[in-house]
Parts: sequence; structure tokens; C-alpha cells
Amino acid sequence: MSNHATHITPDQSVFTRLSSVATPGVTAGILVAALIVMPFLLGGSWTFTLGLCFANSIGVLAVSLLVRYGGEVSIGHTFFTALGAYSIGVLDARFGISLWASVPLALLLGVTFGILFAWPSRNLHGIYLAVTTLALALAVPEMINNFDILTGGYEGLYVATPFIPGMSMGMQRYYFALVMLVIVCFAVARLRLSRQGMALLLAKTHPAAADAFGTRRVWARISIMGISGGIGALCGAALAFSGSTVSPGGFTFWQAIFLLVGSVVSFYGLSLPRVLLGGAFVTLVPQLLSASGAWIPVFYGLALLGMILLGHYMPRIRKAMSRISEVS
Amino acid sequence: MDQMTNALRGEGIALSFGGIKVLKGLDVEFRAGEITGLIGPNGAGKTSLFNCLTGAYSPQQGTISYAGMPLNGLPPAARAAKGIVRSFQHVALCPDLTVRENVMMGIARNCTAGWLSAFLPLPRGRTEREEMARAADTALSDLGLPDVGDKFPGELPPGMQRLVEIARAVVGKPSVLMLDEPAAGLNNSETRDLTAVLRKLASTDLVMVVVEHDMDLVMSICDRIYVLNFGEFVAVGSPEEVRNNPDVVRIYLGSDDDE
Repeated sequence: MSNHATHITPDQSVFTRLSSVATPGVTAGILVAALIVMPFLLGGSWTFTLGLCFANSIGVLAVSLLVRYGGEVSIGHTFFTALGAYSIGVLDARFGISLWASVPLALLLGVTFGILFAWPSRNLHGIYLAVTTLALALAVPEMINNFDILTGGYEGLYVATPFIPGMSMGMQRYYFALVMLVIVCFAVARLRLSRQGMALLLAKTHPAAADAFGTRRVWARISIMGISGGIGALCGAALAFSGSTVSPGGFTFWQAIFLLVGSVVSFYGLSLPRVLLGGAFVTLVPQLLSASGAWIPVFYGLALLGMILLGHYMPRIRKAMSRISEVS
Repeated sequence: MDQMTNALRGEGIALSFGGIKVLKGLDVEFRAGEITGLIGPNGAGKTSLFNCLTGAYSPQQGTISYAGMPLNGLPPAARAAKGIVRSFQHVALCPDLTVRENVMMGIARNCTAGWLSAFLPLPRGRTEREEMARAADTALSDLGLPDVGDKFPGELPPGMQRLVEIARAVVGKPSVLMLDEPAAGLNNSETRDLTAVLRKLASTDLVMVVVEHDMDLVMSICDRIYVLNFGEFVAVGSPEEVRNNPDVVRIYLGSDDDE
């Protein structure tokens, strides 16, 4: 059928055969198919947790996109996730407006505030920009509390308006986050092939060359912050609906750090499997360690270290597996 | 007539870095239809002059114009939009993009598909990308690199990377093409190919400026040569005139005793 399949010869190892068949598109397709049937195999609590995992994966993707296309690190992306989450929460709880209207608003706000943040910080790089994003993250909980008429302050808001009538809310919360994640991953994959995506990559590695061929550095910075902010807001939207509540505790500085940790664990990957890995680390590891009491930070650090080392040595492990497979 | 009107001109260009005068009031005229060489020893100010003309540096004094349009104050991207493009002394290809995609960036300034096409599989974006890819493949073939489009720059030897960068500069059919040491890192065969390509590119509409240390290349392709030393022009003229200029022989080409 495909070229990949026809190139397989009998003397190739099982591992090599699998690698040649498992193109990124095929892998993502299988993964999505598995995730679609997952709620029918797992219990309600796991469905809920996986919904949050998908939402966090979108946030991890937002941070990774900024690294991969902008060459910058953000430790304040909870600002954008809060924007998205409260767009959904306020419109739902205060005005009874469903996601059909509030998600586009969340995206618009995320992009707008990304651009508004990028303009004054357009000449900042590296640690200076990172610290500036930190200010955003620190400001978020206070801002939410001070706008308590709209945001509900410490108590937060409950998101209850159904998205698709007739489907149970548990299923809706799961599938909404999954669909959002797949759409965002698809859009980011398209970006890589586009003129704008290529220009952003050139501007990241050789700003002078990008300038010389018509791509302004300021345009590149503003564009990538706008895109990343928009995706961050979509993460917040998914978190709000899938988690059913929005409160200041979900958008602290530590949450911003966890998104960055997820991004590191996924090795700044932008594909569906990679961002799912990051999202799963952010969502599942704290839950798995919840019975460890005071040892939680220690075990969390060890898990993080283990994941990074595993990723670092993965090429060697793959080679070794390929050799073993060939011998057998 | 076109030669004169479509010229890239600089008048009284002066540039200093903290009290060190890098360019000392230079008057230059690069004419369409000619290949102009810019030579001089290391540190003479060639790349600084390049950077002033392309907008990377803003000279403290002097005016720069192309075809009568003033360019002072225009950033490099705006000059690129007017068709003024350059290559770099140190290869500046993006390692995350394939060779073809790197070359496609040379034509990106002419593309108009918007952000919606960047995220969604719309026909306009797809058509534009296919056209860009075709143009890039043609440019690569013209430079003798027909089979490297799908590779990444890091997979190519330095000489080929240099040619890819030149392909990126020429793919958009520029009106001013400024090449900063295009033959650096090329072997003899690649330099011969490059010479042929530059000759082929020369047209009545194109202003081509070449900064180069390879004297054989410069003398064989250039119609006029500017010789720069310590931020001042020492000589201007045809290759023959420059070759016979005693000041040039003394400061740059070496004396008879060296031969």
C-alpha cells in the first residue's frame, strides 16, 4: 500500500520493520484510536484524570512551542491558561454561555495577551525573558482574587453547561479535551510546513539571516508569543471544562513550573505522543505519588531525573534493541 | 541608462565603533548589469560596508539609495522586500529546516498566504508551498545540487552549505544580490561551478556585488572592482586596472618579489 510497506525486506529486523511502518502519522492515528475507546475500558475516575492529562498536554505543547520556535523559556504560562479557564468559567457560571462561544473567546484572549506581553518584552532574551514571564505567573492568583465579582475569588467557579446535549458530562469532559489536543497538535504540525513556521525557525537560529530575507525579528517574537499564548489559553479552556471547576489554586507559579517540567520531560516535542508524555508526567505522577507523604518532592525529582535520563539514552537503547532483534 | 538608474549608491558612508573609524566617508556605485567586486585585506571594512548597504548597520553619516529610492533608516527586512538580498560570510542556514526549505525562505518575502493557511490545510497555502518548493529545486539544480533538497544542512559538507546559501539568495530573483565571500570553503571544482553560475546570473537588471578573497574568481567574473583598506577606497576600476595599480599590489596582491 504505502511506500514504507513495500520497502520492507525479509532480512530486516522486527524492530526495523516496526520503525519503518510507525510513521508519525500512523503512530498518532493509533494513539488517537486507542484514546477514543479508553473511556469504555476504564472507570470514571481514570476518564476524569485522562481528561486533565490531555488538557495539561496542551499546556506542555504551548511551552514547548515557545522553546522550539522562539528559542525562549516561559515560567509564566499559567497566565494564559488562567485567561482561557476563566473565559470558560465566567461565561458559563455567570452567563450560561457554552463552549461554542467561550472557546473562541479564550483563544482570542490568549493570542491578544500573548501579543500584548511580547511587544514590550520584544528585546528581552533568555533568562531575562523567563524572569519576566515569572512576573506574569506570580500576578495571576492575586488578579483572580481581586476580580472576585467575576471570578468567584478563592471559591472559584463551577463549569456545568453541557457542550453536546445528550452525552453524559463525564464523557463530554473527556472527549472535549481529547479533541482539543488533537486539533492543536494537528495545527502545530501544519505550522511546521508553512512559510510562517519556517520563517520562525530561521529567525530563532539566525535572526540576521531571517531579517535579510524579509522576516523581522519583532514579528517573529510577537507571532510566537501570540500562538503560544493562544494555545496556553486553550489549555486553560480544556482544564476548566474537563476539571469542572476553576479556582486560583490551579494557576499558581508552581503550576507554571510543572508545565515547563512537562515540556522538558517531552524533550520539547510537539507531536501527539511526546506532548502526551509531558502531560501524563504533569498529571499522573503527582497522583501516583500522593500516598508518599513528605517524600513526594523527592520521588517527584527522581521520576523527573529518570525520565530525562531515559530520554537521553533512548537513541542508544533503540540501537541496542535493533541489534538484539537482528541477532535473534 | 538602466545601468545608471538601477544602481545601488552610497554617498559619504561613515561608520565608527566607539571611536574606531571603520568606514571613512565612502562613495560607491554598484551598477545593474555589472558584477562588482569588493576586495581588501581582513579588517578593511568590506563586511561593514555590506552591513550598511543591507541595513544591518546604520552608518553615522552618508546616504544609501537604490534606483533613486533612499534606503537610510529602512531595516534589513524592508530592504529585502525591495529585492536587496545577501549571503553571509559565515553560513547562516537553519539546521531545523531541510535544504529545500532553507532555499524556500529566499522566496518567502513574495508569498501572501496568511495565518489561516499556516494552521489549516487550505488550497492556497498548499499551492504556494509547492511553487516555493519548485523554485527552490530549480535554484539548487542551477547550482549543481539537484539531489540534496530533502537533506538537512548538517548532512552536507561546508562547501555545499555555502552553495545552498547562495541558492537561497538567488531563488527570489533579487534586484540587488550581495555575496559575502561566496567561495569560502569551496573546493576548486565547486568554485568553477560557482563562477559559471554567477556569470549566468548576471543580467542587465541585476546589481551584483561580490566580496571575495579568491582573486582568480574576482578577476575572472568582475566588471569593476573596489579595493578597500582601513575603511577607504584605495582603487576603483576594471580588473586590469586594479591588477596594475601599484597601491593595490603593495597592500593586497603582494609585490613582484613575492611571486
